[in-house]
Amino acid sequence: MIEVESLTKRFGATLAVDDLSFSVSPGTVTGFLGPNGAGKSTTLRAILGLVIPDAGRTRVLGKSYAELGHPFQQVGAILETAEAHPGRSGRNHLRVLATAAGVSRARVDDVLELVGMTEAAGRRVKSYSLGMRQRLALAGALLGDPETLVLDEPANGLDPQGIRWLRDFLRMLAGEGRTVLVSSHVLAEVAQTVDHVVIIHKGRLVRQAAMREMEAMAAGAAVVRSPDAARFASLLNEAGIDAQSMGDGELSVAAPTARVGELAAANGVVLHELTAARATLEDVFLELTGDEAQ
Amino acid sequence: MTALLRAEVLKLRTTRGLYGYLIVLVVLTGLGAAGQVSTAHLFERGDPAFQRDMLSQSTVFAALIALLLGILSVTVEWRHGTITRTFLVTPRRWRVLAAKEINGFLLGVGLAILGLVVAIAVIAPVLSHDSASLHVDGAFAARVAEILLAAALWGALGAGVGTLIQHQTGAIVGAIIWVLVVETLLAALLEWAGWKGIADVLPRHALDALAGHEAGLSTAAGGAVGVAYVVVFAALGFLRVRRQDIT
Ligand SMILES: Nc1ncnc2c1ncn2[C@@H]1O[C@H](COP(=O)(O)OP(=O)(O)OP(=O)(O)O)[C@@H](O)[C@H]1O
Ligand SMILES: [Mg+2]
Repeated sequence: MIEVESLTKRFGATLAVDDLSFSVSPGTVTGFLGPNGAGKSTTLRAILGLVIPDAGRTRVLGKSYAELGHPFQQVGAILETAEAHPGRSGRNHLRVLATAAGVSRARVDDVLELVGMTEAAGRRVKSYSLGMRQRLALAGALLGDPETLVLDEPANGLDPQGIRWLRDFLRMLAGEGRTVLVSSHVLAEVAQTVDHVVIIHKGRLVRQAAMREMEAMAAGAAVVRSPDAARFASLLNEAGIDAQSMGDGELSVAAPTARVGELAAANGVVLHELTAARATLEDVFLELTGDEAQ
Repeated sequence: MTALLRAEVLKLRTTRGLYGYLIVLVVLTGLGAAGQVSTAHLFERGDPAFQRDMLSQSTVFAALIALLLGILSVTVEWRHGTITRTFLVTPRRWRVLAAKEINGFLLGVGLAILGLVVAIAVIAPVLSHDSASLHVDGAFAARVAEILLAAALWGALGAGVGTLIQHQTGAIVGAIIWVLVVETLLAALLEWAGWKGIADVLPRHALDALAGHEAGLSTAAGGAVGVAYVVVFAALGFLRVRRQDIT
C-alpha cells in the first residue's frame, strides 16, 4: 500500500510536484508514467523519505517511510542515482547493505543469483556496464525480500533481453502478491506488466486508470466515411458512443470497428469506409501528456 | 547502531583508498620519527619527557589522516550518490551520522596505534644502540592515551566537517589548508594582537595540546575544547542533513 496525498514539492522556482494524490493498492503493479521532468523521481523520492515535501504527505504500508520498523525489509527501491561506490565490488556492496540492515549474508548470494550477477559479483562496480549496474541495483532492492517495491525507471540501460527479463521478473513479483510501483516514460514498456497506471504531467495527476482502460482507449477508435454521416453520428450518439465529424462525410468514432459496423448494418447506414484508427498506447500517452492536455 | 557501525567499517575496508592512506601513514610516520631521533642529542634521547614528545610529534600524520578519512567517509557518499541507498536502509538520518562519528573516532584510534607502533619501531632500535631504552611508565601510558584520544577526536571531527560541507574536494582541501596554513597564520596574527588565549583554542592548537605537542592549553583543557569542536560540527552537520533533499 502506497499513498500520496496532496504532495507538493518545489525546487527553487521549479514546481516539481503539484498537489499530487494517488494510491497504489497492495498486490498490484502500478506504472507511474510521465514525460521527462514530470516529477516522477521527485514523487518516488518523497515516498521514500529522501525528498522532504513542501506540503502533503506520503505513506507506505500506512506509515511515513522513516517510521517503518525495518524499511529495507519492507520496501525495496531502485533510484536513478548510482547504487554503489565504483571502487567496491558488487558483492561487497551488497554485504555492506546486508550488514547495515541486518540481512543474512547468504541472502547476498541468493539475490546475485536471482539477478544473474553471480559471475560479475567479484569485480569492481566501476567496470560494470549500465545494465549490470541496473541489475546490481535491483539486487540491492530485493536483498531485504520486501513486500513493496518502488522502482524508478528500472529498464534504463537494459538491452532487449534485459527488458524482457525485467518484465517477466516484475510479473513474477506481482504473482507473489507484492506491490510494485514502477516508473517509466514509455507506456508501452510497462504495458504488459502493470495492472494500473498513474500518469502525471508537470507535477500534476493526469489520469489514474486500470491498464485495461488505457488499452480500450487505444484500441477503441474507428474512422468511418459515409454519405449519411450526420444521421449516423446522431445514431452513434444515441447509442452512447462519441462521434466527431471530421468533414467530408468522415467521422472519428470512439468505439471498436466491430461495434461501429454492427450499428451501421442494424440501421441500414451505407459505409464507404470503416477503419480502425491506429492509435497506439503511445498515442494515448502523448495525447494525455501533450501540452494541450493542460 | 552496532550494525551500522559494522557497515561503516566494512565500507572502509572494501575500497582501496584506505590502504593507500595506510601506506602513506607508515612512510611519513617512519620518516618523521627517524628525523626526530636522528637530530636529537644523545642526552635528550635518554630523557623520558623527550621520548614522549618524540611520540607526540611523530603521530601528527595519524591525526591528519584520521581527519581526512573521517571527512571522506561522509563525502564519498555524496560524491557517488550512495547516500541515497544509505538513507533508504536507515531513514533516521541521525543514526547514520552517529555511526559515522563513531567510525571516525575508532578510525583515529586505529591510525594512532599504527602511527605509535611505527614510531616506536623506528625509535627503539636507536635508543638500544645508545644503550638507553624507552621509559615505559605511567606518564608514558598517559601520553599514549592522549595521543590516541586526540587522533580519535580528529577522526570524529572529520566526519562532522564532511557532513557539513559534503563537497569532497572542498572539504578535503579546506581542511588541509586550515590545519596546515590558515590556523598557523591566524594564530600568529592573534598572538601579535595580544590574543594568544584565542589562538590556543583554535582546533589544531587545542588537539595538539591534548596530544602533548602544543604548549598553550593544559591537556585536559585541550581535550575539552577538542570535544566541543567535535560536538559543534556534528550538530551543524546534522542540522544540514536533517531535512535535506537527497536527489
Ligand atoms: N535537486 C533538484 N534541484 C532542482 N530542481 C530539481 C531537482 N530535482 C528535480 N528537479 C526538477 O524537478 C522537476 C521534476 O524532476 P523529476 O526528476 O522528478 O522528473 P522525472 O519525471 O523523474 O523526469 P525523468 O523522466 O527525466 O527522469 C524537473 O523540472 C527537475 O528539473
Ligand atoms: Mg526521473
